[in-house]
Amino acid sequence: MLPSLWSPFPHRCRRLRICLLAVLVVAIGAISPVGGIAEPSPPTSVSTATPPPSDRAATFLDEASTHRRNDDAPSPNAVPRQSGLLAAVLHYAIWILGSLAAIAIATLLWSSLLQRQVTQRTRQLQRELNERRQAETALRESEARFRDVTEAASDWIWEMNGNLRFTYLSERFYALTGIAPQHVLGRARWELAPGDLAGNPQKWRRHRQLLEQRQPFRDFVYQTRLSDAHGEGRYLKISGKPIHDAEGRFRGYRGTGTDITEQVKAEMALHESELRLRRIIDLVPHMIFAKDRYGHFLLANRATAAAYGMTIEALTNHSHRLVHGADEEVERMLADDLEVIESGVSKLIAEEAFTDHTGHTRTMQTIKIPFVEPGLNETAVLGVSIDITEQKHAKEEVARMRLYLRNIIDSMPSILIGVDPWGYITVLNQPAEEMSGLSWETAQGRFFGDVFPQLESQFEQVRQAIQLGRPIKTPRMTFDVGGELHYADVMVYPLMAESAGGAVIRMDDVTARVRIESMMVQTEKMLSVGGLAAGMAHEINNPLGVIMQGSQNILRRIDPDMPQNREAAAAIDADLHRINRYLAERGILHFLEGIREAGARAAKIVADMLSFSRRSESHFALVDLEEMLETVLRLAASDYDLKKKIRLQAHHHRTRLRPSAALDVLRQNGNRASDPEFAQERRPSHGRRRHAVADHRLAHPPRTGHRFARSD
Amino acid sequence: MSAWVLIVDDEEMIRENLKAYLEDEGWRVAAFEAVAPALRWLREGTLCQICIMDMRLPDMDGNTAIRALHQMYPEMEFLIHTGSSSYSLPDDLRALGLDDDRVYQKPLNDMAPLAAAARTLAAARETRP
Repeated sequence: MLPSLWSPFPHRCRRLRICLLAVLVVAIGAISPVGGIAEPSPPTSVSTATPPPSDRAATFLDEASTHRRNDDAPSPNAVPRQSGLLAAVLHYAIWILGSLAAIAIATLLWSSLLQRQVTQRTRQLQRELNERRQAETALRESEARFRDVTEAASDWIWEMNGNLRFTYLSERFYALTGIAPQHVLGRARWELAPGDLAGNPQKWRRHRQLLEQRQPFRDFVYQTRLSDAHGEGRYLKISGKPIHDAEGRFRGYRGTGTDITEQVKAEMALHESELRLRRIIDLVPHMIFAKDRYGHFLLANRATAAAYGMTIEALTNHSHRLVHGADEEVERMLADDLEVIESGVSKLIAEEAFTDHTGHTRTMQTIKIPFVEPGLNETAVLGVSIDITEQKHAKEEVARMRLYLRNIIDSMPSILIGVDPWGYITVLNQPAEEMSGLSWETAQGRFFGDVFPQLESQFEQVRQAIQLGRPIKTPRMTFDVGGELHYADVMVYPLMAESAGGAVIRMDDVTARVRIESMMVQTEKMLSVGGLAAGMAHEINNPLGVIMQGSQNILRRIDPDMPQNREAAAAIDADLHRINRYLAERGILHFLEGIREAGARAAKIVADMLSFSRRSESHFALVDLEEMLETVLRLAASDYDLKKKIRLQAHHHRTRLRPSAALDVLRQNGNRASDPEFAQERRPSHGRRRHAVADHRLAHPPRTGHRFARSD
Repeated sequence: MSAWVLIVDDEEMIRENLKAYLEDEGWRVAAFEAVAPALRWLREGTLCQICIMDMRLPDMDGNTAIRALHQMYPEMEFLIHTGSSSYSLPDDLRALGLDDDRVYQKPLNDMAPLAAAARTLAAARETRP
């Protein structure tokens, strides 16, 4: 409704203004001939004047009131003329009142007119204002939208003038970088990044060349850090385009910027993390690598690169086939890789040969694990290879040593039975296996008393040995072996290692030793008897000598052929021949010869006995071997029955020997030669058994070894 | 005039048997049971070239007696007649010219070799200048 009411207002207003001005002229004209009190401004001047109607009305009223105030001032000479004056006053008053009324009416009309005009104008202004506000709002929204979009794509907007100095930076720049505007506006970009400029002059030179060539640029990254600013700088990424005016003149640059500090920091942290990881895997002495299904190295640590004689960089992305010299190994390894990749299951290769670039073959233990390579979406294989060459050697050495120790305990003539603290068998050596008739594996875990019933009584010793921590010996245990009495020394000693408690039962068959000891005792007895006999024999020699020499003298002195005998017989008238015949016929001469021979035989026996019993004597003398052997046989005849022939083959018949020792040796070997068990050990040679005898006690010098052979 | 043989032996019948045998062989024999009476007899001035010495004697052992007699009568030759089968000649006696052939073990089945040795020694002594 309002616009329709007010739409003609400008035309009607103009007419009203003219009417009001006419009324005012009439009113003023009516006043001016009577008094000439006032000289109001002609209405024409009013019409030409351009102040607003309200102002003009105010001025007019002000002037009227001024005149009235001047007229209201009392005059002392006017009293006589009061009536006239009164009339005049009334006249004037009426006139004035009429004028005033007219004026008032005109004013009211004017005022009303103005009121309406002001209202219209106000409404118009209000409308314009609203429109403008709407436009401004739209503009602001548009600007905000633009800014939001721009700042969404970046962080801030910047502008620089033709001198490449900043003229504008949006608020977010200050907020993000913390740099005050006065440090930025009017300065060039490189002045904001002195550190970066110094650190990367090439980058800045290229950037400035672009700017000087008025070229657009994108994603230029730099670190801003004012020389007087504290704290760490910010990493900014900017893009910009040159600005040209309508005439194409260069006016500067405008662009956007983004604070990528966090991104750069994240990247640096990532890089640092990667470096740390790289350092770690490079420090690992084992080979760490990753390969794709085609055998290309995706990752390799220093140990791996060193094994191939390459740098890490050179090895990475290279094919395994190209860098590894041993084709057979490569194919095997790649087959393993492929198996792991395709199965998706890790694989442990306990032992594999690996020939490095020097040609040295090592033994490796490798685990291969499938993994998905980021960015490739392909399964690759991660491998860790450990050089176990030394361990393998050590293991082999342990195995060898175990075998060796096993050999040692097996080769021991003693019976060894390892038992745990409860008497269950843990180990047997070979003699123990032979004794029990069970293998180690079979006997293992069985109670030793069940396997070796003859040792069952040793369980208490086992218990005590372990408890006391010292060996317990049971000497001369007796056993019945096939009806024969055997002796054994049994020692139980505890195992000292903490990890393997238990004990070892060691049994030594000392039957032979016991017998030898018994023989030794007997021999000692014999020696002492022999010593006694030697003393006795020496004393026997004298009476034997008397017997033998006496016999010889008797035989000589009855011999008729000796002149002395004949002379003595003649002196007493005896017939020596007859006496001699008598002695012969009665066998006396024979008896005397018998006495002499018996004496000689007794003397020989005594001499032989003495030579045997002389233990401490040790001297070398020339001996006749045949005679010595005869002596042996003579003596041995009392020990055993020598029905068989004994033949001597000697290289020397006389040699220097210790006769007593030689006799011992010959006699012992003679005994052995007659021993059926010993005889079985000999090898036949030329149809007869031979046995070579050489004894260190016998020979001096060594070449005097002799062969003693017996033919059956 | 036959030569003298000195016999020193503590066994009387040995002495007597040797004496009888050697006398039958033509020697003059002086037999003593110990060294001391033998020395006394020698000091009486009898020239004796051969001495048959036993080892085990009551007053001294035969080796010592030989050393002493050799010192006093360097011309005297010695034969050893011992019952000890373990006897071996000391080196110093070997140095005096004795050897194993001069040693005769008791009992002697035959006294002829001893008598022959005495004869040989006496003959050698006489031919020595």
